[in-house]
Amino acid sequence: MRELELFFGPQHPGMVGNFSITLKVEGDRILEAIPNPGYLHRGFEKLMELRNWIQNFPFVCRINVVEPDSMEAVYAMAVERLANIEVPERAKYIRTIVLELARLASHLFGAWAYANMLGFDTPAQWAMADRDHILDLFEELTGARVYHIYILPGGVRRDLPDGFEEKVMYFLHALAQKLPDYNETFFENRIFYERAKNIGKIKKEEAIEWAATGQVLRATGVKYDIRKVEPYLVYDKVDFDIPTREDGDAYSRILVIRDEMVESAKIIMQCIEKMPKGKVYERLPNPFKWKIPKGETYVRVESSRGELGLYMVSNGGNTPYRVHFRTPSFNHGLFILPRLLKGASIADVGNIMISLYVVAPEIDR
Amino acid sequence: MDRKSIIKWIKEPGKMGHKYSLWAVYFCTGCGIIEIPPVITARWDAERFGVIPVATPRQANLFMITGYVSLKTLKAIIRTYEQMPEPKYTVAFGSCPINGGMYWDSYNTIKHIDKYIPIDGWIAGCMPRPEAIFIAVTKLWMMIDKGEATGYIRYRKNYKFYRRNQEKLFGKLPWPPLYPIDEKEDENGERIEKKNKEDL
Amino acid sequence: MEKELKKRIKKIYKNTQVEFPEANRMVIKTKQENLLPILEFLKNEGFRQLKAISCVDWIEEKEFELIYHLSSLNSPLHIMVKVRIGREDAQIETIIKIFGNAQIYEREIHELFGVKFRGNPNLSPLFLENWQSIPPFRKDFDTREYVKKKFGEIPFVEEKK
Repeated sequence: MRELELFFGPQHPGMVGNFSITLKVEGDRILEAIPNPGYLHRGFEKLMELRNWIQNFPFVCRINVVEPDSMEAVYAMAVERLANIEVPERAKYIRTIVLELARLASHLFGAWAYANMLGFDTPAQWAMADRDHILDLFEELTGARVYHIYILPGGVRRDLPDGFEEKVMYFLHALAQKLPDYNETFFENRIFYERAKNIGKIKKEEAIEWAATGQVLRATGVKYDIRKVEPYLVYDKVDFDIPTREDGDAYSRILVIRDEMVESAKIIMQCIEKMPKGKVYERLPNPFKWKIPKGETYVRVESSRGELGLYMVSNGGNTPYRVHFRTPSFNHGLFILPRLLKGASIADVGNIMISLYVVAPEIDR
Repeated sequence: MDRKSIIKWIKEPGKMGHKYSLWAVYFCTGCGIIEIPPVITARWDAERFGVIPVATPRQANLFMITGYVSLKTLKAIIRTYEQMPEPKYTVAFGSCPINGGMYWDSYNTIKHIDKYIPIDGWIAGCMPRPEAIFIAVTKLWMMIDKGEATGYIRYRKNYKFYRRNQEKLFGKLPWPPLYPIDEKEDENGERIEKKNKEDL
Repeated sequence: MEKELKKRIKKIYKNTQVEFPEANRMVIKTKQENLLPILEFLKNEGFRQLKAISCVDWIEEKEFELIYHLSSLNSPLHIMVKVRIGREDAQIETIIKIFGNAQIYEREIHELFGVKFRGNPNLSPLFLENWQSIPPFRKDFDTREYVKKKFGEIPFVEEKK
């Protein structure tokens, strides 16, 4: 019995993001997988202690590069809780629309990565091109394609421009007309079914023990979504469903993602109909000399990959005293991934890793 | 025709064939990975400029360093860069490789990447738009025409200094030097320093 | 339901304080000896998911504070169990027998703060390689001085023109 050590390193065509795994292999079977993070570590939580409360905003959205709006939202909610600031109604509706558009863009990015890995080039190019239309909408609203810096404590930075709501509705209708094409070539294709069924199977009891959240948990049959458990913003005023599947393998996770995209479109349409008029921003006291009273808080949000949490401690000064992010990829990438890779074959490593939706900058921060 | 003008006549179409098909290594470092998939897919098509992503560094001659570089990543970058065949070009994205960017006080990121790897072109922005990437590629073509894109020649000539900087950061490197270092000069320098210390 | 839980905890374990600072949040402050029994008790009540372990460095009081975040699938309550340990020679028992995924969080805290977890089989560094200074997230580590010393002394490679 000869054991070989393989390096599935950062420069690899099957790797999305800067992450590496060391595999101990015998023939074609994997005996042990040791993940090796640290290629993107900047010491975020230490650097945030040296900057003001308002200087941290352009800083905090660069932790998760694929979906930066959920990071801004969770930081803004934590600061508002500690400083007792009320957000106006219209700002809450606009924040919900922005968060759901970011969720759509992130799911399309995940669909590109997975389709590329399995060899489906045409739906991959469609998904990336459709995602670019969402980035165009963001550019008109905030001024930048990625890293928007739009959600601030006290509301949002500015109001919707003229004609924005019609453009959003036009985009959603166009995407809904393309869904049969996506289904035929990718989601309900016979070849994709053969390539993704029974890969990376997780049972329901194991998923609960391993503290999985997000699609990894919902694909095993558990209905758990932070938007229903502890509704924040306006999620208790709109009508939506939580899709689940029974099997817990890679195929179920992709179908859960497709159903979530349809639910996101429903939420955006309802928000646009129900949005009231009013102001969108609550003026802060002089933001460069702003001191927040002592206290601590824990805030949680449902991002497109799982539960995103923030534990913040303030000591009454200009800067935060301690900031700790609870990111979903830390658990999925360092704890669940080695347990799924044991006993798999080398050809399945990329398949399992991308179907868990691990984003490397979230692990290292 | 004498020999010099024959060589000059052959090199011109060679340069054209070489610059219109720059193949890029597929390595995502740092934040910039979010703008690379839009560049290589259908909307902003990079293949009409001749740039496609390839799997191994042995087939590539363009290296895009997208975003900030941490200490562990720099080791992987140096190994990848030394495996690429000559002539090779590097382009750095964003403001983080220039002077540290917004992580200027972090203990794990590299502030000036020019001290360890030679860079031919810089692109400003955080993140740069896909159009900025295409403008950089066309400027690289103009530099290749005039003969100014000489990063790999500088690396070969000053290899001793680049290697010394890399060793100051990491300690002893586990891979041997790429070009032979003039051993005598270094040894003499060290011997002279040691002698002085013993005298003291 | 929450008030009943509070009464039962206070009856069984001495030296603990239970508070409800906000809606859906419960904070339990306890001593080091009671930590493992309280976590077992909460796991049997249905709080089976360990979401995260955080650490705060209170340098003026010379203590580290460890916070264990627990949650359950049946109720919206989120429990934070807090323990304080001394800053010099910080050590505490590991909890991987109760919650399996505590292993990665304890490894991260050991690397960044320097707290030892007795009984954890793998405390090797995750993010940093060849690190030779004090653990970087402590309050007495000055990153700007460290950057000036380490990166500032390396010279540019200049060409002779």
